[in-house]
Amino acid sequence: MSMELIVALIASAALFGTGIYGALSQTNLVMIMMGIELILAAALVNLVAFWRYLHPDAIEGQMFVLIVMTVMAVEMAVGFGVAIARFRSRGSVEMEEAQELKG
Amino acid sequence: MSVQVIFLAAFGLAAVWFGIVVFRTHSMVRSALALLFSQTAIGAMFLVMETEFLGVLQIMMMATEMSIMAIFMVMFMMDPGGLGAMDMKHQRRLSLWAGLVAFGGATGLAFFANWGPLPAEIPDAAEQVRLLGFELLGRSMLIFESAGLTILTAMIAATAMAVLPGRKAEAQTSEPPGHEGHGA
Amino acid sequence: MTAIWLLLALAVGVYLLAVLEHWASTNRLRPTAPILAALSLLGSESLLPRKPDQLFFETGPVLLLIAALLSLAIIPLTPDLIVTDLATGALFFNAALSYVLVALIMAGWGPDGAYGMIGGWRFLGQLIAYAMLVVMPITAVAMRAESLSTIEIVLSQEGLWNIAYQPLGFALFLGAGMAMAFVPPFDLPIASGDLAGGVQAEYTGVRRLVFRLGRLVLVLSVASAATVFYLGGWLGPWLPGWAWSGVKILAVAAVMLAGGRLFPRVSEGGLLAWCWKLGIPLALANILLVGILVLVVPL
Repeated sequence: MSMELIVALIASAALFGTGIYGALSQTNLVMIMMGIELILAAALVNLVAFWRYLHPDAIEGQMFVLIVMTVMAVEMAVGFGVAIARFRSRGSVEMEEAQELKG
Repeated sequence: MSVQVIFLAAFGLAAVWFGIVVFRTHSMVRSALALLFSQTAIGAMFLVMETEFLGVLQIMMMATEMSIMAIFMVMFMMDPGGLGAMDMKHQRRLSLWAGLVAFGGATGLAFFANWGPLPAEIPDAAEQVRLLGFELLGRSMLIFESAGLTILTAMIAATAMAVLPGRKAEAQTSEPPGHEGHGA
Repeated sequence: MTAIWLLLALAVGVYLLAVLEHWASTNRLRPTAPILAALSLLGSESLLPRKPDQLFFETGPVLLLIAALLSLAIIPLTPDLIVTDLATGALFFNAALSYVLVALIMAGWGPDGAYGMIGGWRFLGQLIAYAMLVVMPITAVAMRAESLSTIEIVLSQEGLWNIAYQPLGFALFLGAGMAMAFVPPFDLPIASGDLAGGVQAEYTGVRRLVFRLGRLVLVLSVASAATVFYLGGWLGPWLPGWAWSGVKILAVAAVMLAGGRLFPRVSEGGLLAWCWKLGIPLALANILLVGILVLVVPL
């Protein structure tokens, strides 16, 4: 039960909670994506902490961190492409107004 | 308490504080740059945990990505300067409870799980870079080739979505601008 | 002791670079030009904009200076004269200089002025163009050195300097480095004709001095990186190591500052087209070529 691991896990838990709060409470697509970035960053902190404090002999842990960074970049790219297309067709990216498929 | 714990706690606190500022400030550019500094603090946490390559990579990538997010915020959001003080949230209680439950759950798991002892030694930074390189191009080559293809597909898809449809027809029929500007 | 030598080298380097820039832009060699310019900027009135974003307005130029200084931390003047020999030095150089973008965005957005803001966002457009062209030649250099540490990179050039081994990479890195340091012809963010001074326009007095100092350190940093990665750092016949480093850095900086003024200013749309359609295929071809050379030629 090392202190460093606990501290890192608490920090990542707080980031995760903040990210979920942001992703659920914001109405604008860009702000929701910022919440998602925080969630993924929290997962990254957890991965690095587990690699460093539990399994430093398995370099696959660091490789998985690179995969998650790739996912962050790809998700941002596609998300902003969708945002541009939506903005062009409707004039805003507010999620409250995106109710065409509802009910 | 070793030095690592103090630095981890400090950078972790900075990351969480900047993360909260992201959703509390009214100015949109401040929000994007607060997220940038939150990710920088996370990169600093990686450096404290002696994963030098990952820390430097995180700091580098997030500076660029969050700046791009800043310009998208200026493009798409109503009040980028933040002087209007609008409240743009919905489902506040649900999201607050969801965030607190997630935080509580993850922290409880951290305390009550049986993690095991601290490892004796870890590879140093140059050795980590070598091992990571061998791993990338050795065992995980298939994963990274497909990740590269995914990135390329995402780039092409995003560009295709972002290009205006029917642009060439519009460009030919529209008048060149500038004739009205001479009167001003 | 090394700290004092390094600070001295930094001060001398920045001073000589300021003289070089003055010479390149006004065609007159005045050795006291930097001191006079600094004194005049310190003495001039500090005009503050009406409703700035105070945090960004103050932080922008300072962050530019800090980012440029941080990126100098891994440049070796000799094997002993280095601030820190990080194992990922080449990547750290890029990481520190990516904060130049953050600094320019802050400096553009902060003063609440139209031209400055456009200058800041134009630099973001430039970064999309040059970012890959900085990293890919560094990758090819690291391939030959089999390490990301800058000292290892210089030591790998004992047989043949990288400028002869990878000339394509050198050309791409130098061009992208000029775009990174926003020297002409890539100086759209601070364009004096087009944007009325751009990012630099809203700053007066002390803050403008800090901005220009940050930019000079940035040019010094890019020139130092070009000598470490491509010109063999401290390697050379008769002079001591640090003298060779200094001479090479000043030569590269002179080429950057003077050669750039021969070309008209490049808009960031044109820069993006050139870099992505021509530059990145060339950079990838460079990596392929260097890979083949590293495996086949025993140099």
